[in-house]
Amino acid sequence: MRRRFTLPLLTVAAVVGSLFVAVSPASAHGYISSPPSRQANCASGAVANCGDIIYEPQSVEAPKGSTQCNGGGSRFAVLNDNSKNWPAATVGQSVTFNWVLTARHSTATWEYFIGGTLLASFNDGGAQPGATKSHTVNMKGFTGRQTVLARWNIADTVNAFYSCVDLNIGGGGGTTPPTTPPTTSPTTPPTTSPTTPPTSGTTTWAAGTTYKVGDRVTYAGKSYQCRQAHTAINGWEPPNVPALWTAL
Amino acid sequence: MAAIVLSAVAFLPAGCASPPAASSPPTAVVPAESAAAAPAASAAVNEVDVMFLQMGLAQIGEGEQIAALAEERAGNSEVRAVAAELREQWKTESGTMERWLLGWAEPVTADPSAGAHAGHGDLHALRPSDFGELRAVQGADFDRTAVSLLLGNLHNGMETLRMEAAGGSYPPARALATRMATTRQAQIQRLLKLAA
Repeated sequence: MRRRFTLPLLTVAAVVGSLFVAVSPASAHGYISSPPSRQANCASGAVANCGDIIYEPQSVEAPKGSTQCNGGGSRFAVLNDNSKNWPAATVGQSVTFNWVLTARHSTATWEYFIGGTLLASFNDGGAQPGATKSHTVNMKGFTGRQTVLARWNIADTVNAFYSCVDLNIGGGGGTTPPTTPPTTSPTTPPTTSPTTPPTSGTTTWAAGTTYKVGDRVTYAGKSYQCRQAHTAINGWEPPNVPALWTAL
Repeated sequence: MAAIVLSAVAFLPAGCASPPAASSPPTAVVPAESAAAAPAASAAVNEVDVMFLQMGLAQIGEGEQIAALAEERAGNSEVRAVAAELREQWKTESGTMERWLLGWAEPVTADPSAGAHAGHGDLHALRPSDFGELRAVQGADFDRTAVSLLLGNLHNGMETLRMEAAGGSYPPARALATRMATTRQAQIQRLLKLAA
């Protein structure tokens, strides 16, 4: 029953190994879906003639440090083509970037650039991302049509994942319009509990502590409220695990 | 409750092939009549075919968990519609896929602890905490999280489908993978429009 990947593999290892490598990208991890990155615009059909990127927008992986939209690799050069008519999302000075992840690698940092200017860097300290990943980034006064380069730097490999997002940035202070489809359900506030003052019963977050729903803690100077009962471990610091903690 | 779910992460079998607990695979006993009706395991079947079916079933099992929640709870009707469509198609597709594996006397789940996926860890599989996050969020956050998780699941599935279409041997399996890739790409496009 359990021999599938063991014994038979010995006899056909060479064939299957090469086949698998040849036909499977095997390096897929993530990209920015909102505002749509160039690969998202290719995969959604908004931009035509993109090549294979439409089947794997999550695969723009290349060694760290590149400033090119395709990470400088040989694949997906179409992403560097500024003559292509990339749609630009209209945004304000504060933009929330949402990622789609297909593998949740330990993360060093998430970086956002316009040209040579670093807009923001988020240090995850080697933690694995949660189910989803979002960052809100200030455009630092850049206006008009701009291309943001985002780099997801993996902690335990030499590689990063690259996403370029074309924006039309307004000068005002407004935030990005809500990214979810415009029906029903206005963003529900992070629930309940306006009554308890943030100070009462608040302790400093600590690994090994068992928290129940509604418990409040402080961590790195900020207050959080527990949204799922759990016993904390290192790596589950409140800012790292939005599923467990709501920032107050 | 969540503590149990979260601590279970550590013990979850790793790899693309780890089946989610909710979709308990049928026991790999081949009923006499279906064994007779099943295609003979011949030279026409290769390891890629088997890997496609085993990984594909695991990926469908994960997708089903997201889609079931999305169909029930999403505020946006298009999210619910895509989820419902996926569930309907997966039901048919996974039935065929299981039948082939049983016919070839292959397990419907692969042993994730050996071979191809060492080194992947649980990276390409959804963790119980990911489902926990989805269950915990409300309103527009729920829709956004569900769409994002479905896209991730479909992208992983697309890799498996394209692997089979390119390297599989059993013609009906390659044809199924090709059909599924076309259908999934259209659904990915609908979801990307929702995500934008």
